[in-house]
Amino acid sequence: MNARALVLLLLAAAAVPVASGAEPGSGKAVYDSACAACHNSGAAGAPKLGDAAAWQARFASGIGALYRSAVSGKGSMPAKGGQARLTAAEVEAAVNYMVLAADANAKVPVVAARGDGKAAAAAAAPAQAAPAAATGPGGATAAATAQQDAGAGVYARACAACHTSGVAGAPKLGDATAWAPKLKAGLATLQSNAIRGKGAMPPKGGNAALPDADVRAAVAYMVDRAAGARTAAATGTAPSPAAVTAGAAAPAAPAAATPPVPATAVAPTPVAAAPSRAADASPNAFNRLLRSATRRNPPPHEDGIHDPAIEEVYMLQPPLTGLAGLPTSAAGNRIDWVKALNQGKITPRFDRLDPQVQAAVMDLNIVREVKGSMPDVVYPHKQHTQWLDCSNCHPAIFKPQKGANPMSMAAIMLGEQCGVCHGKVAFPVSECRLCHSKNKVAGATATAPR
Amino acid sequence: METRQRRIGRWLRALGACLFAGLLAAVPAPDAGAEYGDVVINNYSDAAGMRPVVFPHWFHRVRYACKVCHADLGFKFKAGGNEINMLKIIDGQYCGACHNGEIAWAIENCNLCHSAKPRTPTMVHESTTQGLAAQGRPAPSAARAAAKGQP
Repeated sequence: MNARALVLLLLAAAAVPVASGAEPGSGKAVYDSACAACHNSGAAGAPKLGDAAAWQARFASGIGALYRSAVSGKGSMPAKGGQARLTAAEVEAAVNYMVLAADANAKVPVVAARGDGKAAAAAAAPAQAAPAAATGPGGATAAATAQQDAGAGVYARACAACHTSGVAGAPKLGDATAWAPKLKAGLATLQSNAIRGKGAMPPKGGNAALPDADVRAAVAYMVDRAAGARTAAATGTAPSPAAVTAGAAAPAAPAAATPPVPATAVAPTPVAAAPSRAADASPNAFNRLLRSATRRNPPPHEDGIHDPAIEEVYMLQPPLTGLAGLPTSAAGNRIDWVKALNQGKITPRFDRLDPQVQAAVMDLNIVREVKGSMPDVVYPHKQHTQWLDCSNCHPAIFKPQKGANPMSMAAIMLGEQCGVCHGKVAFPVSECRLCHSKNKVAGATATAPR
Repeated sequence: METRQRRIGRWLRALGACLFAGLLAAVPAPDAGAEYGDVVINNYSDAAGMRPVVFPHWFHRVRYACKVCHADLGFKFKAGGNEINMLKIIDGQYCGACHNGEIAWAIENCNLCHSAKPRTPTMVHESTTQGLAAQGRPAPSAARAAAKGQP
């Protein structure tokens, strides 16, 4: 009996380091995404990765105690490192990784068996869960985007670990209430605090290798987002109580969820989100149809269609992460997709398998004269053929012949003709002037000499 | 004196009616808040005891041009208009052309797609037609079919 257990233990111990090397759901991957912010620099007293002396003291209490502290939190270590979406098995895998880094001979048999299924599931979902690790064009795009949009990129790399979830009192991204008192100090002060560290905030977010300019850009990005949320709030919606409740509920929730039971960890989120919905629905709100900035591009578990009771919903990439750094617009996804494509911020494949295939772009404008005083429509084939094949529109939706397609805004708004895409995925019909772009007589007389 | 009391009573009743109407108006409208272009597909899921599928357009269009799915893979421009089932996906059609463990994660991750709240109907979220559907108006094609059906 004893010998069998020992053999199992040895097998598992041998298996762990092999497994932790490559796959995205492994201990190293979890460590990089959730633990590195503090355990690389030793912020807030965290034992540093590979610091044998600091870790040795913690081995005394046994591996079980380390798991419990990591999952439920202890002292300044937040539960699951502040990432409630992680499963207990993933956190334990990260602990294994750190323990092995401190002492290669440490006995870390452990959860290899228990956590395998979930770790594998996490590993098998790289495309949506971790864009940087995604194979194919996605990964390259995300990397390019991060480089080009410095602030958002640095934020995602160095600040998001704490400032997304509000670990250790960090003001959350876009949380106007939490940022308001800090904004009074001014951008320059905030930037120097971020570089030198203040309170629980480690210098440069614990990432000492970061250039000062990057830190400044990241702070500017966060301040920008907070200010944006505040102006939206000032127009009549009241996200503050919701934000406060969410802030209070967030740290409590993971602490209560020691075993990997997603339902308990998840429950507070919709409750906390409810007051903001109610406030927006108030008859005295500025405009009940106009969504405030804080409610745009919500993460999957708050968007009302995903089921927040299942763990996988937390593995999906939130739109704000996936769309960070892309040029913005006023409607739809709030992304100017044409600009994003033309600036090379995204490089969507035109063939399922071959990244070399280029779109057959046709540069031909069709001008449609329209009734009344509305400017005429200029239909550009160019921007459409960058995304689409001729057969997508011709001949089923539009007969390829000038004048053969009578059109009306009513039909378009009901999802026909242009409305097959515009109003569903392409920019919506609220953006009149993007199509109705050629002024009529009024424009002509204005430019004509008198 | 009596007429004055009656007048006050009537005024109070009117005030009450106004408050009641205000309360009715305050009932929140059904507001999903989903990302623009998110498609929920519930052709067979609910009936089979699975959560409906959420397809995020935004995530896919960062990586692929519309043409790849809508021309090469044969996805029609119609939420729920493609008779997709798991057998076809396993055979490499529709989602299965990429979600095969090589290009994107494989179908073992059921809940990454089947992630909608149960009983969410098939529709494109945040679309212009969604606003109309919420008011109980028939879709244009259905209205036309009904009009044709009537003599």
